[in-house]
Amino acid sequence: MINKGFEPKIVAFLCNWCSYAAADKAGAAQNTYPPNVNVIRVMCSGRVDPQFVMKAFKDGADGVIILACHLGDCHYKEGNYRAVQRYRMLTRLLDELGIEKERFLFDFVSAGEGDKFVNVLKDMGEKIKKIGPLPKT
Amino acid sequence: MKIGLYLCKCGNNISEKIDIERVKGEMSKEVYVEEVSFACSEDGKQQIELSLRENNIERMVIVACSPREHERTFMKVMESAGLNPYLMQMVNAREQIAWVTEDIERATEKALRHIKGAIKRVSLHQPLEKKEVSICPDILVLGAGPAGLKAALSLASAGRKVYLVEKSPVIGGMPVRYEELFPNLECGPCMLEPMLGEVLHGEYSENIELHTLSELVEVTGFFGNFNVKIRKRPRYVDSTCVGCGECVAACPVSTPNEFNFGMNQRKAVDFPFAGALPNIAWIDDKTCLRFHNQECTACIEACPLGEVVFRFDEEIELFERQVGAIVLAIGANLYDCSRIPNLGYGREADVLNAWEFERMLASNGPTGGEIKTSKGKSPQRIAIIHCVGSLDERYVQYCSGICCSYAFKFNHMISQKLPEAEIYHFYKELVIPGKESIVLFNHAKHNPKAHFIRYDTIDAFEITSNTDGEILLRVKTEEFEGEFLFDLIVLCPAMVPIEDTKELGRILEATQDKYGFFEELHNRLDAVQSKIKGIYLAGTCQSPMDIQKAINHGVAVAGYILSNLVEGRKIEIKPIVAQVSDRCSGCKICIMLCPYKALSFDENLGRTVVNEVLCQGCGTCVAACPAGAAIAKHFTTEQILAEIEGGLR
Repeated sequence: MINKGFEPKIVAFLCNWCSYAAADKAGAAQNTYPPNVNVIRVMCSGRVDPQFVMKAFKDGADGVIILACHLGDCHYKEGNYRAVQRYRMLTRLLDELGIEKERFLFDFVSAGEGDKFVNVLKDMGEKIKKIGPLPKT
Repeated sequence: MKIGLYLCKCGNNISEKIDIERVKGEMSKEVYVEEVSFACSEDGKQQIELSLRENNIERMVIVACSPREHERTFMKVMESAGLNPYLMQMVNAREQIAWVTEDIERATEKALRHIKGAIKRVSLHQPLEKKEVSICPDILVLGAGPAGLKAALSLASAGRKVYLVEKSPVIGGMPVRYEELFPNLECGPCMLEPMLGEVLHGEYSENIELHTLSELVEVTGFFGNFNVKIRKRPRYVDSTCVGCGECVAACPVSTPNEFNFGMNQRKAVDFPFAGALPNIAWIDDKTCLRFHNQECTACIEACPLGEVVFRFDEEIELFERQVGAIVLAIGANLYDCSRIPNLGYGREADVLNAWEFERMLASNGPTGGEIKTSKGKSPQRIAIIHCVGSLDERYVQYCSGICCSYAFKFNHMISQKLPEAEIYHFYKELVIPGKESIVLFNHAKHNPKAHFIRYDTIDAFEITSNTDGEILLRVKTEEFEGEFLFDLIVLCPAMVPIEDTKELGRILEATQDKYGFFEELHNRLDAVQSKIKGIYLAGTCQSPMDIQKAINHGVAVAGYILSNLVEGRKIEIKPIVAQVSDRCSGCKICIMLCPYKALSFDENLGRTVVNEVLCQGCGTCVAACPAGAAIAKHFTTEQILAEIEGGLR
């Protein structure tokens, strides 16, 4: 494979209350994962503006992930529902632009799910490795 | 703009994984860099404060642990150095880099990317100031059952003005109607009446403005400053009534008594039950002849005080009050057993629910405390069916956690009143939590007249009546099949939300959980706060519970209010809130999205405005605004885009 040695750059938008806390928890458990992720902390996944995702791809990210509280657990009641809606809309737009679905993910990670946080990122990294870097236009 | 970068080594937690020297080397000359051994220690904080001052630093990036751990700490350091605390950004180098990366070189690169993002971001930070608003310290309590009464009394005794609003003509809630309470067989009215007395004419009762026959109909405002509108139905009898009951005897109109679930009749002028407080008669305008174009003066003539007590011209009153917080303590209901037709409830006169049986046991109830069938017979075979509607996906999934305890109380009371009666307990599960209820269970277990039969589904029962007036109960489970004749069947239904929960939830925007109870802010940590700031939950409107828990809720709510809504102290508004600029086109999308009702459209300004007390700073409106007019302070689009760019380029 031509992608040998390729290390994908991933931008992860984490909400302050659940997924960011999960990332801290993975840290406290010294649960290692590839250092190819740039974490952007937002108060709520509902704050993630589609243009943040576009900007990340534009500036060289090979993958973008939004990690929210589980549905029903949002610190702000329903911000994660909005995030899901925007994610669905944006995946269609990215598809039009030829950005593969593996490059843009959404998942739910509670503050206690440090292991899930690590697994989701590892998985995503592996999948992007297979499809290679995002071609720069 | 001079940026200071402080690299905390955290002992060697960070420095053994991140090459500090390399980080220093890669910083541009404009950035001032300094190492700190333990930034959060007193020495570390002093070192940073001094350095910020000496080097005339304007913005700080601190590479240390998680901001969830020490963001507040370093914001305080900024303040002590005379800087606005929001002109700072943390890089989480410990939890999210050093502790999770094996390779030093790659950990260092990850740290560098985050540092570059943070430097770009911090240069766009704006100084933010906390704001303060003054508050009204008074409180509205809805519901005068144990939880609401306890909250009202606790607040009143702390000197707070409380508006206690109760829908029915009587206070005390449900337990004041029970003859005896589990687990100690204490008399319900005896236990609660001292509390009711305190509310009506106790030491702090002047702080409590009680309104019976009243409901909340409208709310505007927010935590600290609610304006509430109350609708009060007329009682037609004023508080000079001495409660002698002469009018009741004289009244010619009889109607089913809803306070005894229709098991007996009451008069058009009456007391809900003997001993009901406040001890003021109440006229039901639906049945009183005077409200049906008939001349009747029976009550007036019978009254030893005469005409002055009666207020037949009273009308529905609407009034407003200012309060800082609202307590919801509106209670719960029993599951409607008629929705499970095979149980015969509503069809067979001698199939009762637990409330009806409580009233039958009560000496001030419809039978004067005598257990008897609808035909007046003393029952010799009584069935108590536990878990009615509970633990069943089709009805209610949960266990209410109190029914077994009162079912064994019933067992005890039946065996006292009717020593020869056979008592059959049909149960799905036996749940008797707490340190005391086991006594009643043991009593039932050792009662030779008590029998226990376990069933798996409520469909196991077929309840019909025979011509002798006995009830035929057929039960068929996997392990057991039988036919019984009973004189009386008592159903112990699940506790469910009261109908008003929905409407009040709508008025207050207080959300309900999947079962319809008011939803708490956090199920373990904040069960008495709703998701709307300033609206508190007490008692069974939040979840099924016993009296002890409901009373504890009342006290907990009072504690929260006394610490959150302090008289004379202003409410501090955190500066991380939304802001709407003049670019707003008035589409109102954000208003629909805001989970806190914090946004509204100002017709004069022609744009949306933010209520900073209500705004929690989630930023959902900002991501949704098509005009880019909504701004999330400290999480602005520009700041986040800069952070993304800094980390990637």
